[in-house]
Amino acid sequence: MNRYERAALAAVGLMLVAAAAIFLYAPTDALQGPVQRIFYLHVSSAIAAYGCFAVVLVGGVIYLFNGSIAADRFARAGAVVGVVFTTVTLVMGMLWAKPIWNTFWTWDARLTSTLVLWIIYAGYLLVRRMAEPGRQAARFAAVVGIFGFIDVPVVHFSVTWWRTQHPGPIVVNDALPAEMLATFLFTLACTLALATVFIAIRYRIETLIDQKVNAVEPAEVIAAPQPEAAP
Amino acid sequence: MNPLRVAMAVARKDLRSEWRTRELVPALAQFIVLALLIGNFGFQIDSRNAATIAPGILWLALVFAGLVAFGRTFAAEREQASLEAMLMTPASPVAIFAGKALAAAALLVLCEAVMLPALSLFFGTPFSGDVVAAVLLATVGMAALGCLFAAIVARVRARELLLPLLTLPLWIPFIIAGGLAVQSAMGLPGSYQQAIGLLIDFDILFVVLTSLAARFVLDE
Amino acid sequence: MIYLVIAYAFAVALLGGFLVWSLRTIRELERIQ
Repeated sequence: MNRYERAALAAVGLMLVAAAAIFLYAPTDALQGPVQRIFYLHVSSAIAAYGCFAVVLVGGVIYLFNGSIAADRFARAGAVVGVVFTTVTLVMGMLWAKPIWNTFWTWDARLTSTLVLWIIYAGYLLVRRMAEPGRQAARFAAVVGIFGFIDVPVVHFSVTWWRTQHPGPIVVNDALPAEMLATFLFTLACTLALATVFIAIRYRIETLIDQKVNAVEPAEVIAAPQPEAAP
Repeated sequence: MNPLRVAMAVARKDLRSEWRTRELVPALAQFIVLALLIGNFGFQIDSRNAATIAPGILWLALVFAGLVAFGRTFAAEREQASLEAMLMTPASPVAIFAGKALAAAALLVLCEAVMLPALSLFFGTPFSGDVVAAVLLATVGMAALGCLFAAIVARVRARELLLPLLTLPLWIPFIIAGGLAVQSAMGLPGSYQQAIGLLIDFDILFVVLTSLAARFVLDE
Repeated sequence: MIYLVIAYAFAVALLGGFLVWSLRTIRELERIQ
């Protein structure tokens, strides 16, 4: 078993402990019932996603500054992992919204800006795919990543402001009892650990892909069938 | 080389070549009138709900016209060659970028000059200085962003798909603030002053950011 | 509640599947080297 698999196993173990905390230790919410337990992984995933996109931002800035390939690889890794966690956030959020608000979706600030976040970094991944691999793809993606990271709080602020102009009926109550807070913080820590392992794994994959591309003649790269596993 | 003169020269070149072929502006104007037509049928507009729906149609039409206009600023092969030639001169890439954004913004303003009177004509909404000011302010920021991402996707496959995908999320703040400004200028509740203030803030933020990013995107 | 089950099932499927797929990609790429 290579070290990535060992790390993965450890991270999965942590997540199982978190699951035990979520379902066995945390109390049931008085107002919402069992479905409220979605909160723990839903919010942890959102925070993990933002962390990943911060990695994309920093990697992109460093790459533009000094052309460091390692920074670009981290950016690539961060983007993929971030999109995965954002997907988890959005879907879990929608499944939580339906029983509580009786609708899968509303256009409040958090949902809207999370959706925009997903779209922006899906765009980042597409730009990487479509641009000439190498310097051009890395530069363009870095710019997209930087603008994307700035845009999300701007959109969030805009929608919040818009909502105060047209107040909506939905108000979120954020007060948390101690056991729930503890469970959340623990789940958050485990999720961040998982995200770190993901990024390390994807970084390794990007390194291997870079080496593969550099080792082969360009014509062969274009002609050869792409391995199914390559992103 | 004085960057302002470079920018104006680039803008003038772009606008002149557009004038010579005269294909984009009439097409965009036609598109806008069609959009208004469709809006009328799609929304069943009458004198009561016109002020509610018209701003939405305005921004929809503007966004799509904008995507077409900015898609073209870097598209043509001839354009690529002349861009490379310009980059080899001592002119700063930011000035060249500013010139292209200026030209694209001018084209968009021409479309707005068609759309706002038409909107007023067909839907009976007020055509006031307030509405014009809101739309013009939004155009500044949208032009800067549209031009930046047009430069990025120009040399990338699937650019027709990527340009809207990258640009629209960044245009959302302008649509939100601009939408509210136009709505309140047309008589609906909402603070016009606040919306305009927000538009100005967004303009400053994104013009500065795109200027900083331009050298990384144009420099090849 | 059913929504709770579906939500966590989805998360496990996506995160777990992504993890497995990524680890297998490493194996494949390292084998080719």
